[in-house]
Amino acid sequence: MDARLRRVNKEIADCKNDKTSNIRIELIDESPFHLKGSFPGPQGTPYEGGNFEVDIVIPESYPFQPVKMKFITKVYHPNVSSASGAICLDILKDAWSPVLTLKSTLISLQSLLCSPEPNDPQDAEVAKHYTTSKSSFEETAVYWTQIYAGGPGAKKSKESASASVARDEVAMAGLDHAHVRRFVGLGFEQGKVIDVLRRLNYRGKNIHNIPDDKVVEELLKP
Amino acid sequence: MVTQYDHLDEIRSECQSLQEEEYQVLESIFPDFISYDEPGRTLRIEVPIELDNAQEVSIVNEADDSDHPPQCLTLATLPPLLLHIALPVNYPLEVPPNILSIHATHSWLPRLGLRSALIRLWSLGQPVLYDWIELIRTGAFLNDIKVIELIRTGAFLNDIKVTSSNHIRIPHPMPHLLAALLKNHDHSMKQENFLLTPYSCSICLAQYKGAKCAKLMCGHVFCRSCLLDFWGLCITEGDVDRVGCPDPECVKEGHKAMEEDVARIVSESDLVRWRWLREKQALERDPNVIHCPVECCQTPVPKPPTAEGDESGWTRLRTCQKCSFSFCSFCKRTWHGPITTCPISITETFVLEYMALLPGSPEREKFEKRYGKVMLSRLVAKYEEDQLNKKWLDASTMACPGCSVNVEKSLGCNHMTCAKCKQHFCYRCGTKLNPSNPYSHFSISGQRCFNKLFDFMQGEDDGWQPIEGFEFL
Repeated sequence: MDARLRRVNKEIADCKNDKTSNIRIELIDESPFHLKGSFPGPQGTPYEGGNFEVDIVIPESYPFQPVKMKFITKVYHPNVSSASGAICLDILKDAWSPVLTLKSTLISLQSLLCSPEPNDPQDAEVAKHYTTSKSSFEETAVYWTQIYAGGPGAKKSKESASASVARDEVAMAGLDHAHVRRFVGLGFEQGKVIDVLRRLNYRGKNIHNIPDDKVVEELLKP
Repeated sequence: MVTQYDHLDEIRSECQSLQEEEYQVLESIFPDFISYDEPGRTLRIEVPIELDNAQEVSIVNEADDSDHPPQCLTLATLPPLLLHIALPVNYPLEVPPNILSIHATHSWLPRLGLRSALIRLWSLGQPVLYDWIELIRTGAFLNDIKVIELIRTGAFLNDIKVTSSNHIRIPHPMPHLLAALLKNHDHSMKQENFLLTPYSCSICLAQYKGAKCAKLMCGHVFCRSCLLDFWGLCITEGDVDRVGCPDPECVKEGHKAMEEDVARIVSESDLVRWRWLREKQALERDPNVIHCPVECCQTPVPKPPTAEGDESGWTRLRTCQKCSFSFCSFCKRTWHGPITTCPISITETFVLEYMALLPGSPEREKFEKRYGKVMLSRLVAKYEEDQLNKKWLDASTMACPGCSVNVEKSLGCNHMTCAKCKQHFCYRCGTKLNPSNPYSHFSISGQRCFNKLFDFMQGEDDGWQPIEGFEFL
């Protein structure tokens, strides 16, 4: 049995025995080198109440090379790609140390959710949203937690969920319904309006910097 | 009389049981320290001295002999004291133990009142050996025999600055000899301690005795096998920056491993490669370093310190220390002297590269460091001038096909004779012409320059045709 397997087995066992940290590691398939970790969203943050799943791939030269992790659960956070779940965290790159474990790394991810670093973003749009209006950002993050991470208020019936698809998308993009309606009223498709407004960071104080002409110009681009 | 003997017997038997009890207790607490000589009723107690914290120890020659300067060192242990003790039959009820001898390993202990200090500790009827051992083991006896001096921090003691208030001062005729012995002893005690202590390696998450571990300079302990795997991998992959303590804090602070640490972990060949990688990295950081152009040498050649501030052509000279090849740092060819320009216009390439960089950018500064700022601005000016010249030469001159000298025609016909090499050529197309009949190039129908002995710029000299007129004459 090689050192990597021995260590991973120990780590999985250690996580199973530790009931206090709330960090869970499970096998995805037969391989002990492709795992799924999960942890609850930290309290007092927009992620509270959600359960966040992380895809874990253990490289050949683990623990001397960092473990590869990305979110399976969609997360609205400046250091997590809203599209792919890729994570921007120093210990997953050059600050990795062979002393770090799967558990300690997952705990670091958990604390990353507590303390976003918008100056070193993985998702520039989300980071812009965060710096423009923290309250609006938090609303959206709470919403994503509800929709994707099973956060509080997520237990809606199927019909009401499908009925409010349109509203969901506006909230999901962290935009104001009134703004979206105004441009939809000009005859543009809602999906496109959401896309453009999100890209332009049409939120909070920033809307004063974006003239309507600019928005329309963007909307007219194919 | 009888009663008195009975009384003595009573005391003796009580003493004997007290002594046996004391011995058992000591043996269970300090199994390694104590041994009993049953027939002679003598005990050997060997007590190692473990100071609470590492303490400053100075060893001074009392005679103040300048040939033997005082030594100062920091120690956590001192060599053991061997007590040879006889227990009288009426110890501990009536008399203290009888100290036959006190011997200090390496004779480091001055012959000062330890014996009386020990005796003073005994009080009538009380077993005292445990207290003696503790007094010696903790080093507290040094206080009693005035070897420890309480000195104000920062004071000077025999020219040695004192940095801790508890200062151990040992008189010895040969301070440097004793210092070496004490240091060795302290080191081997630490080593022994380390080898026997179990450590948990936080990389493989297993426990090992210190013998299988290594304590790095920063104090972190890992098992040797994990360190070997980690550093070996980094060295193989050329990732020399990661060869350091694997502890997350040390990683974040970028602590690199010390050579001693690397040397005792990795294989000889990896150590050689590690040294080579580090040297290479250090040299690559220095923009002044150029690799020797000799293909089988490639030794990095730093800028000679004398070249600093000098802006003459000599700054281009580099001499490889390994193969002694002297070359020009610009064109990397054999040294061609400080005045001659590089045989191939190699400068143009890097001047272009340099001009493409933004002023003030770090890459540009690197260039300026390597080639010299004044030198570069001179080269840039020269390059720009050269470009203008070239443009003008291309537009207004024709190179002689014989000697390549550029010839400008100010007036006249297109048959040229080079002033330098006497070559006859056509100014229009650069073809060499036969000196005996140069005009056939212009007069034979079907030739490229037929009828073009004279040609003028468009609009130039319109209507003025001296040639035709000349011919008519």
